[in-house]
Amino acid sequence: MFHHRISRRRALKRSAAGFGSLALASLLSETTSASDGVDPLAVRPPHHVASAKRIIFLFMSGGPSQVDTFDPKPLLDRDDGKPLPFDKPRVQFNSTGNLLKSPWRFRQHGDSGLWVSELFPHLAQRVDDLCMIHSMHGTNAAHGGAVMKVHTGSDNFIRPSIGSWVSYGLGTENGNLPAFVTICPTLAFGGINNWSSAFLPAVYQGTAFGDASVPSERAKVRYIRNSRLSREVQQLQLERLGQLNREHQLQTGPEASLEARINSFELAFRMQSELPKVEDLSGESKATQQLYGLDDPVTANFGRMCLMARRFAESGVRFIQVTHNDNKVQWDQHADLKNGHEKNAREVDLPIAGLLADLKARGMLDDTLIWWGGEFGRTPTAEGGNNGRDHNPDGFTMWLAGGGVKGGFRYGSSDDYGYYAAENKVHIHDLHATMLHLLGLDHERLTYRYAGRDFRLTDVEGNVVDDLFA
Amino acid sequence: MIGALLCMLLAADEPARIAPPTAEQLRFFETRVRPLLVEHCQKCHGSKKQWAGLRLDSREALLRGGDSGAAIVPGEPAKSLLIRAVRHEDEKLKMPEDGKLSDRQIADLVRWVEIGAPFPDASKTGARSRDPKHWAFQPPTVPAIPAVKNGDWSQTNLDKFVLAKLEAVGLSPAEKADKRTLIRRATFDLIGLPPTSAEIDAFLADDRSDAFAQVVDRLLASPAYGERWGRHWLDVARYADSNGLDENIAHGNAWRYRDHVVAAFNRDQPIDRFIVEQLAGDLLPAADEAQRHAQLIATGFLSIGPKVLAEVDPSKMQMDIVDEQLDSIGRVFLGLTLGCARCHDHKFDPIETADYYGLAGILKSTRTMDTYTKVAKWHENELPSATLTAMRAEYEAQLATKKKIVEEFVAQADKQVREKLAADGNVKPPDKLETLYPDATKAELTKLREALTTLEKNPPNYPAAMGVAEDKIIDLAIHVRGNPLKLGDVVPRRTPLVVGGPQPPQFGPTESGRRQLAEWLIDPQHPLTARVLVNRVWRWHFGRGLVRTTENFGLLGEAPSHPELLDWLARRFVADGWSLKSLHRLILNSGTYQQSSSPSAEVAARDPENRLFGRFNVRRLEAEEARDSLLAVSGQLDATFGGTLLKVKNRDYLFDHTSIDKTDYTSSRRSLYLPVIRNNIFDLFQLLDFPDPAVPSGDRAMTTVAPQALMMLNSDFVMQSADGLAARLLGEPGDDDQRLSRMHVLAYGRETSAEERQKHLAFLIKVEQSAVASEPDPDKRRRQAWSVLCHVILAANEFIYVR
Repeated sequence: MFHHRISRRRALKRSAAGFGSLALASLLSETTSASDGVDPLAVRPPHHVASAKRIIFLFMSGGPSQVDTFDPKPLLDRDDGKPLPFDKPRVQFNSTGNLLKSPWRFRQHGDSGLWVSELFPHLAQRVDDLCMIHSMHGTNAAHGGAVMKVHTGSDNFIRPSIGSWVSYGLGTENGNLPAFVTICPTLAFGGINNWSSAFLPAVYQGTAFGDASVPSERAKVRYIRNSRLSREVQQLQLERLGQLNREHQLQTGPEASLEARINSFELAFRMQSELPKVEDLSGESKATQQLYGLDDPVTANFGRMCLMARRFAESGVRFIQVTHNDNKVQWDQHADLKNGHEKNAREVDLPIAGLLADLKARGMLDDTLIWWGGEFGRTPTAEGGNNGRDHNPDGFTMWLAGGGVKGGFRYGSSDDYGYYAAENKVHIHDLHATMLHLLGLDHERLTYRYAGRDFRLTDVEGNVVDDLFA
Repeated sequence: MIGALLCMLLAADEPARIAPPTAEQLRFFETRVRPLLVEHCQKCHGSKKQWAGLRLDSREALLRGGDSGAAIVPGEPAKSLLIRAVRHEDEKLKMPEDGKLSDRQIADLVRWVEIGAPFPDASKTGARSRDPKHWAFQPPTVPAIPAVKNGDWSQTNLDKFVLAKLEAVGLSPAEKADKRTLIRRATFDLIGLPPTSAEIDAFLADDRSDAFAQVVDRLLASPAYGERWGRHWLDVARYADSNGLDENIAHGNAWRYRDHVVAAFNRDQPIDRFIVEQLAGDLLPAADEAQRHAQLIATGFLSIGPKVLAEVDPSKMQMDIVDEQLDSIGRVFLGLTLGCARCHDHKFDPIETADYYGLAGILKSTRTMDTYTKVAKWHENELPSATLTAMRAEYEAQLATKKKIVEEFVAQADKQVREKLAADGNVKPPDKLETLYPDATKAELTKLREALTTLEKNPPNYPAAMGVAEDKIIDLAIHVRGNPLKLGDVVPRRTPLVVGGPQPPQFGPTESGRRQLAEWLIDPQHPLTARVLVNRVWRWHFGRGLVRTTENFGLLGEAPSHPELLDWLARRFVADGWSLKSLHRLILNSGTYQQSSSPSAEVAARDPENRLFGRFNVRRLEAEEARDSLLAVSGQLDATFGGTLLKVKNRDYLFDHTSIDKTDYTSSRRSLYLPVIRNNIFDLFQLLDFPDPAVPSGDRAMTTVAPQALMMLNSDFVMQSADGLAARLLGEPGDDDQRLSRMHVLAYGRETSAEERQKHLAFLIKVEQSAVASEPDPDKRRRQAWSVLCHVILAANEFIYVR
C-alpha cells in the first residue's frame, strides 16, 4: 500500500551520504548496501510508465504578471482605469484600485499561434514547445505562504519539498551527485524549508549551490575545498585517520555507525575532486555560452544558472531548481511595473530560450520537464501610484515544456480581465499531481508515514490534468 | 508496515461480504468518499440528525436507507437514490441542499457505488484503531519489582526490570565499563563537555565504593549541567531566536526563556511546577520580583513557535497560531499528535474534533499576539523592576523635555510674529501664526518636531519577555474541516475525554483555563505527563526511549519495550517530587547505565538493536558537544554564563528578501548560547543533526554523512581548533613523547601506547618532509605538522564518539 518502505531511522543511521548539504548516492550504495541492502537513493521503478525523467524548475521569485506576459486581455485594454466589474477576493494582500492595462503589446507566435508579449522576444520563438496553463490558482496571497505552497504543497506547515518527494520516489541516476539541487535559492519566504526534506530521510534534502545574495559564479557547495592543505598532505592525513579509526574499532568491536563514518571520510575526499568538474563551465563551447547569454552582463548571471542546470540534468540529477531572485524580490512589482518587468524579462528571456534550444538539440527535452512560474501572479488592478500590480494567487499563468507535455498548447483560462482562474482551473496541488504523473509517480501512492499519518505532496487534494499530456 | 497491517485488518473485518474490499478500494473510500459524505451529507444525515430518517454514516445505514428507501444499491449507481439525488436527476430530490457537487465528486460517488460501496465497519475497525483502552490513556500501573536470577548484577530496582527481560530470553548484560569510560560517558552526558585530566585522575585514585556516585553529584552540581540538560528541554520546546517561516524576524527576548530553563534545571525546580509555569506562569502569585519575572518568562513556551506573520487572513493566522501551540502542547506534554483533529477526528487516536476545539478555546482565550496585521506582532510581557521604572521615567522625562522645547519655541516664535504684526499695524492676527514664521524659524521648528517624533517612535527596549496574557474568554465553535468560515457546534473548553485518571478540570468564564489545564497535566494520576517525561530522560541518557517515539504515545507510536519499567520510573519520579536530579542519580547509579558498550557475542547476535539494553549504546557527540569539545581541548572555550549573542534587534529581520545573512555565529562561548536562527541553523550544527527548531523534538536523529566529513576535513573552525591544540601542546614543557600523551588525554581521556606514539612521530616527520619545499622555516614546519596531526586526532572516531 505504501511506496518504498524505508525506515527513516535506518536510512539516517546507516547512510554515509545522507544530507545536510549534499547527497551522494554512490557513497550510500557503498556503505548501506553492505549493511542492510537498502540504498535510499537507488533508482526505483516508477508507478507507471514515465514520460519525464527529471524536472528543471525555473522559479520566478516575486510573482510575474500573467496579463503582461502570456495571457493577453483585450477587455483590460479597453477598460483601463475603470473599476473591476466584479468583486475582488475576500482576502487581499494590499488594496488595489482600478483596472490597469498592460504596457506591452502581445503578438501570436509560431505554428501554434500562442500569445506572448513583447517582454519575451526570444522565448516567443520557442513557443511551439510551451504548454501554457492560464488557469493556475493557489491559496496564499503573501510571498512566504505562497512560495512554500509552490515548493512543498503547504503554506503553514513544514513539509518536504517537491524535489525531495521526487528523489524519494525515484532515487537518482547518478551516484556521484545529489539527487536534488537548487541553484541560488532565496533564503527568505521559508528559506531552506523550500528545499528541505522535512520528515523524509535527510538524504532527500536539496543541495543548495549558493543563495540569492551571491552571483551564480560563486554558487558552490560548502567545504568542498581545503584552503590550506595540499592534496598530498590531505592524503597523508586520511591514511593516518584510517589507521586510528581501525585501531579504535578493535577496541569497540563492530559498530555500524563507526564503519559508516570511516567510509564517509574516504568518499568525501573523492567528492572533492568530482563535484567541481560538474560546476566548471569553462569546457563549454563559446557558441553554447552565447546561447545562454554568458557573454552579456544582463543575462550572464541567470544564463550561468541555466547552463549549470543543463549540466546537472545531463549528469542524472533528478530535480534541479534555478531561482531568479535579486535583492528586491525580483518580479514583485507593486509599483513601477514597466521598468521592473522589463528588466526582469531581459535577464531571463534569452537564457531560458537558450536552455530549451540546447536541451532540444541534445535530445534531452523529451524526457526533461521544464516548469516555469512564480509563487503567484499579479492583479489586473493597479497599485502603487497606479503603476504597479499586487499579488494575485487567484489566477495566473505557469508553463511547462518537454517531458511529455503538449507543445504549443494552452490550457484553461482566466476571466476577461485576468483576475480569477475561470475555465479548467488548475490548483498548485493539481499541478504537483500532474508533474508527479509525468515522472511516473501516482501522487496518491507516493506517501510517507510520519507522526501518525501518511503524508503526500498533495495532502488530500490534487487532480492529474491529463489534457496536458502529449 | 502498521498502515499495511491496518488495511489487512480492515479488509479482514468484513467477513460477510463475498469479495472483501481491497486495500486500494478502502483507500479510495477514505480519501475520496468519506470526506465528501462528512462534509456534505452527514450534518443532516448522520449521528446527530437523521432527516427523512436517513443516515449516511455506515454501509448498513446506507443499505437500510430512509423514508424513500435504500440509499444505494451496491454495484448499480443508476438504481441508487443517492446517485440520482446528487446528479439532480429528479426534480424533487436534489442533494446536497447547499449546492450541487462537482462533477469530480459525483464521479467519485458513482465509482464507489460501482465497486460495491466499500465502507469499513466502524464498530469493529473504529474500536481497533481509535482504542480508548490503549495503554497510554490509563494511569501508570504499580508494577511489582521482578524477581531475577543474577542478584549480584542488579544493583538497583531499576536494574531488576532490565535484567528480568534479558533473563527471560536467556541473555546476560554486558560487563561493567572501566573507570575511564565511565567518567567520560557521565561527564559528556551530564555537562556536555569532556572530563579534564585532573577530574580523571581524581576518579581513578578514588577507591571508595561510591566514587562514581560522587562524580555524578559533582557533575549535577555544576552550572554546566543546566547548560546541557536545559538544551534538551529547548529541543522539546522548539526554542529559537528567530521566527523562521515566512518572516524571519528576531526573537530578541527569547534568550531570557533559554536562561530561565537553564536556571530552573540547575536549581532542580520540581518539573510539575516547571510545567505549570510554562503554561500559566503569568497567572500564578509570586513572592518577589525575581519569581514574578521567572514565571512571566516561562510562558515564552507558548509563544516561541514559528508563526506565519504575513498571513493576510487574520482569523486564519490566529487559528494557525493556536494550532501550533496546541500541537506543541500535545507532543511535548501528552505525547499525542493533536493537530490532526483540527480538521477531522484523529484517524488513529481517540481524539475528536470536539476535543481539539475544547482545548483550542483555552488558547484562543489567551493573548499570544498583539496584532494580526502583517507583519504581525507577538505579545511580550514587560518585566517590572526598579530598572524598568527608572528607564520609563527617564524616557518620559526626555519626551516631556522635547515637548516643552517645541512648545516654548512655538510660543517664542508666535510672540515675535505678533509683535511684528502689531508693529505693522495689523491688529487681528490669523489663527495659525506658523504660516507667517520666517523660513529659518519654520525649518528649525520642523527639525525640533522631527526629533520629538523620532523619540516617540523609539521607546527604549524595556526589559520584556515573549509570553502570553489572558484575552477575552471564549468557547470556540468547531471549524468544519478546519475552515474558520464554516462553524459548527460550540465546544465548551475542556480536556480530551479519552485521557483517563485525573478529574477533568472545570473551566470558568473569567479565566482562559491555562492554569487548570496545567494542573490537570501534573495530577499524579495523569497517565501521560510523567511517562512522557521520564521516557525522554531515558532517551537522553541511553540514546533510545523505552518508547522509541518520544513525541507519540498514541496508537501509531511504538509500544514501550519495558512497560513496567516505564510505569515504575514514572511513579518513582512523581513520588520523588518530580525531581530531575533524583532521576539522574537513579539512572546513573544503576548497573544498566554502567555497562560496557561492548556486548557479549550472544547479545550482539540476538539483540543487535539493543532493544533490551544489554549493553550501553555507543553514541556520537551531539552538535553542541562536538563544537564545545573542539573549543575545550584547543583551550579556546569561553565559559561565560547566560545572556544573548544575538546582534539583530528584537523583531528585526535576520533574512529578508535580499537573502543577506545577518546571523553571526562567531563566538567561542558554549554552543548553547549561539543564536538558533530558524531557516539558517549554524551549518556545523545543521550537519551534525541539530533538530529542526520549528517542531518539538525529543529524539534527535544521528546521521553519518559525507558532508560532515567534508566539514571535519576542510572547515576553518576545525582547522583552527587543531591549530589551537597544537599551540597548546607545543607551549607546554616536556618532550614530544609527553606531548603526545597529553594530546591523547585531552582529546580522548586516555593514555597512549608506545606503539601509537611511534606512529604519530613517524607521521609528524612525513608531514614535515612534505612541506620542506613550501615552508623554509623549520619551526613553522614543525608547528604545521603538529597542527595536521591534531587535525587527524580531532577528526577521528574516538574524539566524536562516546562509549
